[in-house]
This record gives sequence, structure tokens and C-alpha cells, in this order.
Amino acid sequence: MNTIPLQLQVNGEAHDVLVEPHWTLLHVLRQQLGLTGTKENCLEAECGVCTVLLDGKAVNACILLAVQCRGRTIMTIEGLGRPGRLHPLQQAFIEHGAAQCGYCIPGMLLTAKSYLDEHPGEVPDPAAVREAIAGTLCRCTGYQKIVDAIRAAATRMREPA
Amino acid sequence: MALPNRFAVVGHRLPRLDAPAKVTGTQTYGTDVILPGMLYGKLFRSPVPHALIRRLDVRPALAIAGVRAVITAADIPNTRYGPAVKDMPALATDRVRYIGEPVAAVAATSVEIAERAVAAIEAEFEPLPAVFEPEAALAPDAPLLHPDWARYQALPILARAGNVASHSRIHHGDVAAAFAQCFRVYEHRFTTPVVHAGYTEPRAATARWEGDGSLTVWSNGQLPYEVQATLADILQLPVSLIRVLVPGIGGGFGGKLRIALEHHAALLSRAAGRPVKLVSTCEEELTAAHPRQASIITLRTGIGRDGTLLAKQARVVMDCGAYAGSGAGTAAVALQIVAGPYRTPNLLLDGFAVYTNKVPTGSFRATAGPMGNFAAESQMDIIADDLGIDPLELRLRNVVRDGDSGPAGEPLSAVSVEECLRKAAHAIGWHDRRPGPGRGKGIACGWWMTTGGSSGVYVKLNADGTATLSSGAVELGTGALSGACQVLAEELGLPLDAIRISAVDTAGVPYDYGAQGSRTAFSVGNAARAAAATLRQRIAGFAAARFGVAPERVTLAQGHAVAGTESIAIAEVARLIQLAGGGLIAHGTFIAPAPPHDAARVDNHPLPAWNTPSFHAHAAEVSVDTETGEIIVERYVVAQDVGFAINPTGIEGQIEGGVAQGLGQALSEEIVFHEGRVVNANLTDYKMPTAMDVPSIESILVEHASVAGPFGAKGVGEPPCIEPLATVANAVAAATCVRITDLPITAEKICRRLFERGADNVPPVGQPSPAQV
Repeated sequence: MNTIPLQLQVNGEAHDVLVEPHWTLLHVLRQQLGLTGTKENCLEAECGVCTVLLDGKAVNACILLAVQCRGRTIMTIEGLGRPGRLHPLQQAFIEHGAAQCGYCIPGMLLTAKSYLDEHPGEVPDPAAVREAIAGTLCRCTGYQKIVDAIRAAATRMREPA
Repeated sequence: MALPNRFAVVGHRLPRLDAPAKVTGTQTYGTDVILPGMLYGKLFRSPVPHALIRRLDVRPALAIAGVRAVITAADIPNTRYGPAVKDMPALATDRVRYIGEPVAAVAATSVEIAERAVAAIEAEFEPLPAVFEPEAALAPDAPLLHPDWARYQALPILARAGNVASHSRIHHGDVAAAFAQCFRVYEHRFTTPVVHAGYTEPRAATARWEGDGSLTVWSNGQLPYEVQATLADILQLPVSLIRVLVPGIGGGFGGKLRIALEHHAALLSRAAGRPVKLVSTCEEELTAAHPRQASIITLRTGIGRDGTLLAKQARVVMDCGAYAGSGAGTAAVALQIVAGPYRTPNLLLDGFAVYTNKVPTGSFRATAGPMGNFAAESQMDIIADDLGIDPLELRLRNVVRDGDSGPAGEPLSAVSVEECLRKAAHAIGWHDRRPGPGRGKGIACGWWMTTGGSSGVYVKLNADGTATLSSGAVELGTGALSGACQVLAEELGLPLDAIRISAVDTAGVPYDYGAQGSRTAFSVGNAARAAAATLRQRIAGFAAARFGVAPERVTLAQGHAVAGTESIAIAEVARLIQLAGGGLIAHGTFIAPAPPHDAARVDNHPLPAWNTPSFHAHAAEVSVDTETGEIIVERYVVAQDVGFAINPTGIEGQIEGGVAQGLGQALSEEIVFHEGRVVNANLTDYKMPTAMDVPSIESILVEHASVAGPFGAKGVGEPPCIEPLATVANAVAAATCVRITDLPITAEKICRRLFERGADNVPPVGQPSPAQV
């Protein structure tokens, strides 16, 4: 199989990788870069656990070819925040009990970040949050505490630092 | 409002201990395991539902570059395994019994190569007559799935015959005599389909053989000790040579109770001499995992003129698929569920687990609970409407109360179903049951067990003053282990963030019956209490000797051992004992005593009386678009008796998530078969609720303290998915006068029934069929 050299900007860092043309971004993130915080499940863009940000927009990494990401910026859960320096969304998810098994949570958090970034200064109503995260399945929480956490984070992000 | 909390840690809304790892993507799951030299496994699965294997040629697969091993039944020990009936081979031997049954396994250097190798395997099958419906499988001339059934090992309590993997019965009084004297006798038949637990992390297993002949397996199963024991059976190895680690689980809900891919990984790894990892695809999950049984439930219920339940007869048929799996227990537990939390003087309840040529089933949250409750609680509403009694009132006239007996004659205590019903009804606004056109409210109640089984924990006091809990119970997402840690922290006078949870590794953690059956916080919590008592005693003894006081005078609080004005940090105690006494580790154990019951009432039932039952009631308001049949759940209320709420936030999370799963089963989820083949094996066509399909859920925590649970807690995790099916069915019936008895309640079914009825013709609710008595 022919391999293609590719530079990916992931979480603010440049990565030179050799990819096969059919490899998905998900495959490269998990297998080549070791960024296993991005999860894998259905591989057909139905469950949303593989959601990452591509140029700030939420995308399903399982159906995006890595070669389509040349010259674009990618954020995975590892780039959102880390213990001791959590993003307000992460902090709110902890405080509201929004994570149970946690497998959908990286995708859920990045979906929420994408939505809040598109609606700066707003605290979306619950229905808007539910619509925003409808592409990511969570089987544990019934979504309620996730909705609560996203709205709490939006409130916190609106306050002056 | 709740009483003020007199405890420092339990009863508080504290963040679960694993939350930081889970929001930062640093939690490791079974799918994340990568080992040096690791190969990838794939399974060659049967394309036919029932056949003899006439030819199997794996040589074309072995010839592919990158393929390191191909195995068939001829290459592995000829053993069968299963939790109740040992009927399942690791790889099909002479015959296949369902589409998707593993026949051969391949290990290769990449997933793609393994897939190509699987496609290259050549096989010829000689079709056998297949049976897809359990009623057909019960016919005397039905094809036998397991001609050797009588030679299988099985739990001695099971009654088996031919395609019946298990038949359980609960009986009391004389139903025939009672029916003859009833004011009305109602008979209805309810069906529910196969549904998948829907965990977001697929099943995964990685295995590696070590130089000393031992095996290490990384599993995302719920029961590491059962995985170990099952592997020992399959591999013919002593359990001590099998080490099972559970790095993390992306949801299980019972669907990951049974061994899944661990044995295939182990067998392939032995053949290839390298570590092997397998991960299920979405299609494999929906065609060949361990979904919930389909059920057919026929209820015959006799009632007095005043609405008193006098007799109930039930025939529960669980379609367990090609292998028994959890079918025996499910068919048996269904009997307590269809009896319900009601006084019924005459009972005759039969449960059958029946083999068919379909995917073998397993357990899914509350096993038979949702199916049995759907039938029993739908019928209660049908009866209420026919008698002109309010459905809430009919239930209140019949519910069990403290001092009553359960179906097996077991005495019931801390009974709270009336309070749950009243609270749920009040919260939903029951006085206005049909608030407008196309709108209706439904209510349902039920009960469930706190599963028993033994728990062992080690609690180690660390030199920094923290404590580490080691348990064979894994954290599959429920937060139950954090709940057990709250119990431990309370007992040790430590804050929750001073408790650590050790990695799950059968080489180090004590036995636990496992994260199943709403038992983890209850049972591990109690074991942790026992360990804490030992630690307290030793800390107090140590401190008392230093203070020169009697040990009884020493108390533990806020990380210190205190007696009068004397005080020493627990950390200092731990450090000194570590230096001088080999450290401070306590072994705590617990097993719930088997509840007493009347053995004459039960035949061949593995769970005749339930440990610490919980009671609950759900209420919903729905709107139904009478043009399109679309159902929207507008409001949803749960009143659940949790005994004592160890962590209210965590419990609400269980309720909200369980209801969402129940709503999926009520309204949209169904694995659809055509002649044994799943036709919707993807998440586009297997519809689980999204955030837009689930309403905001109001949780009312009722606390009737149990005798046995830590601080009075009862099992919490499974019950929330039991009642939504009946609750929604009853609400839809109230909204439309259409009674759906076959799940899921789809828009198409509503539309068809409304169309058949005609727009102007408003019939009576339900379809009672008074028997000829």
C-alpha cells in the first residue's frame, strides 16, 4: 500500500505521519499518535464517541480520512484541558455527575465546546443543548446531567475572568 | 424535604472518584489496550442459522501474508461453557445454531489482514431445519437445537428438556378454584423484542501467554472472576494460572456479564505465540453479542368485584436463542416480576427459557424486569379501565405492605410501594389523567432485588493517611464503587478524596460476585464497612497505647485518632505501623444471608426469594400526534425507594439513565430478525434514544432503610429501566385509547390502530377479554 506523508496539527503540536490513503483520522489519532482519549465504537458516524474538533467544528473522526486533514487544526480531548487545568466544561461535568462510564464523554465535551464556541456569551436553553449533542449517544446518563453541566459551563464561561 | 444529613461523607452529593480521568480522556478502557507485538483477531461466523459443518478449510486464510494463526474447533479443547447450562462451545464443532456463531478465528498483523483472512476461509454447511420462534420450538416435533442437551452440565436446580433450557415455577393456593369465583378473569398476551444493552464501548479482549505458562487477559467484562473461571473451563487450566485485568469499561448494563471475546483472544494468542486483541464491530454487537431475551408473556388475572386481586396465572416464555446464556435466571425472575408487588392469594406462574436458532442472549439491566413489568402493569391498567376504577386506586388496593409475604412466602419489610405510587402520582398531577386531546398520563409500579453473592475487599491504609480499596467489583460506569468508597470514608473518618481504588486484577484483588444485579454499593459497601471496623480497631489500639488510654476511648474523625486532648494523624499511625508492623491491611467480607421462604411454593427456581427488595413507581405524561402516531414523552417522574441515598447525584444519574434505556425499549428499540438474520445491525436502524428523545426526568428518592444495606441502602442501579415500558404504554393508552401489547410502541403501530378504529369511533380503553368462567 502506498503511504502518504502528512503533517497534522493536533492540540497545537505538529505531527509528521505516514498514512495510508484509506486511514481515517480516528485510526491515525489512536494508532499512530497514541491519542486514545478519542474513542471508537460504531465507525459509521452514528454514535459520536469519536468526535474531535476540526478547525473548531465537531466532526466524527471515524469517517474522516486523515489525508483530508492536511493543513487543518485538530483538537482532541487531550487538548481541551488536563488535570489541574481543566476547561470549564470538564469542571462542570465533574461537578454535575455528567460522566458515568465516560466512554462518550470526550466526544460529548468537544461537541459541547464546538456549540458554545459558536454561541459565545449565550447560555443555551435545555432544548438547544439537547439538539446540539443529539449526534452523540450516551447510554448511561439519560443526558440530563450532561445538559445541566453544559449550561453551567456556559454560565461560567460568560462571566468575566 | 430530606432530613439534615448527620453523616460526613455518605448522603452527600460528592463527585465520583473517576470523574477527572473520564473528562480528560485519560481513563483507559478495554479497547485502548495495546501490547508490544500484538496481533488482531477476527472471527469467521456462521452464515446460516442451523446446519451441520460439512467442510471447513482454513488453508487459504493461512496463506495470506500477515496471518499468524487460524484456529477451529479441531485446534482447541472440546469443552462447553455457560453460566447455568454448559452448552456453548468456544468455536462451533460439528454444527452451527445461529447466524453469527463463531466457527473459526484468525490472528493477523492488522485488522484488515485478519478480515481478508476470514473472508478467505472456505466452509460448506448442510442445512438443518431451523426454528426461530420459541412457541414453535416448544412443539413436540420441533427441531432440537441440542440433541445432546441431557449430557450438558448444568445447575442441579434447573429443570430442562429438549428445547427447554429451564422451566421454573412459583405456585400458591389454587388458581383454578379462585378463577371460578372471581368477578372477572382477564387474559392478555404481551410480547417484547430482543434489545441490545447499547453500551458505547464495544466488547474487547486482549490476551497474552506468559513465559511460565500462565495467561494474562485484559477484559472489559463486568465479572473478572467469572471470566477467570470460564477461561479455566475452556482452556482446561487452573484458575490461578489465569490473570484477568479490567482496565476500564465503557458501559455494560449486564451485556458484558458473560465472557465475550476473552476466550478467542486467549486461544488465538496461544496458537500465534503473541498477544492478540479482539474488538467487536457494531455489526457483531447487534448480531452476536448477548442481548436481552425476547419474551412472550400470557397473564390470566382474576379479580373481585371491589378490585381485589384474587388469582394470577402466568406463562412466561423467554427466547434465549441458540444457547441458554442468562435465560434460565431471566425466565425464573420474571415470575416474581409478573406477580408484582401485590397481594395475590393464588398464584401459578411458569417461566420457560427456550432455545431458538437466533443469537444467544444474556443479561441486560434488570433481566426480566422490563418485560414482566410491561405485561403485568399494562394489564393492571386494562383491568382498571374495564372495572371503572382509577388505575392508581386499583394498585393501592392491592399493593403489599410491611408484614406481607412475597410470592415465595418470604416476609417483606421496608415496603414502600404505596409511598412511591402516591409520590409519583402527585408529581405527575394524576388528578388530571387526560389533560387534553392526544395527551395522557400513565403510572406503573414494581419491585426488584438487591442481588446477593459474596464480596471481599482489602482496605490498605497508606502512609499518607489515605486508604486504598481493592475489590473484584469493577466500576462499569454506575458510580457504585465510588458509593462504596463513600461508605468506607465515612467509616474511617476520612474525606472521600482520601480513598483510592486499586486496579482490578484477579492476581491481587479479593473475590467479588461482580458488578451486577444492583449489588455493588450494597455488598462492596458492607464488605468495606467490615474492613473499616478492623482498621478502626487496630488504629484505636495503636493510638490508645501511645496515649495511655483504653482503646474504647479513641475515636476517628477528620483524619485523626482522638482521645480527649490527645490526637494523632491517621497518616502517622499508618506510617508507623508500616515501619514497625508490615503495614495496615484489613480483609472485609460480606454475603447477604439468603432470605427465608416457603420452599413448597417454588420449583426449579434459582432465585426463589429476593435479598433486600426495592420498590418503585414511575409516572409519565405523553402527547401523541394522532395524524403521524409520533409519541413525545413530555414529563417523566420516578419515585424509587433506595433505602438510603449514599450519593443522591449518583442515584439520580442511575435513574435518569435507566429511564432513558427503558424509553428506548418502550418506543424504538428492537433487533429485527428475518429467518434468524438480523436485518438492522447498525446504529442507524437500531434506534437508541438521543438527547432529543429523552425528557427531563424528575427523581424522587424515597428512603425506607433496609436492615442489611450499608446505612440502610438498597440496590439502585437496575430498577429505573423496569417500569418505563408499562408507564409509557399506559400513558399512550390514556392519550389515544390504543393499547399496544407488543413492544416497541412505534408511530406505525399507533397510526395503524387509529386508522383501523376510524376517526370518530372512540372505543373503550383496552381490550379486556373476560374469560368464560
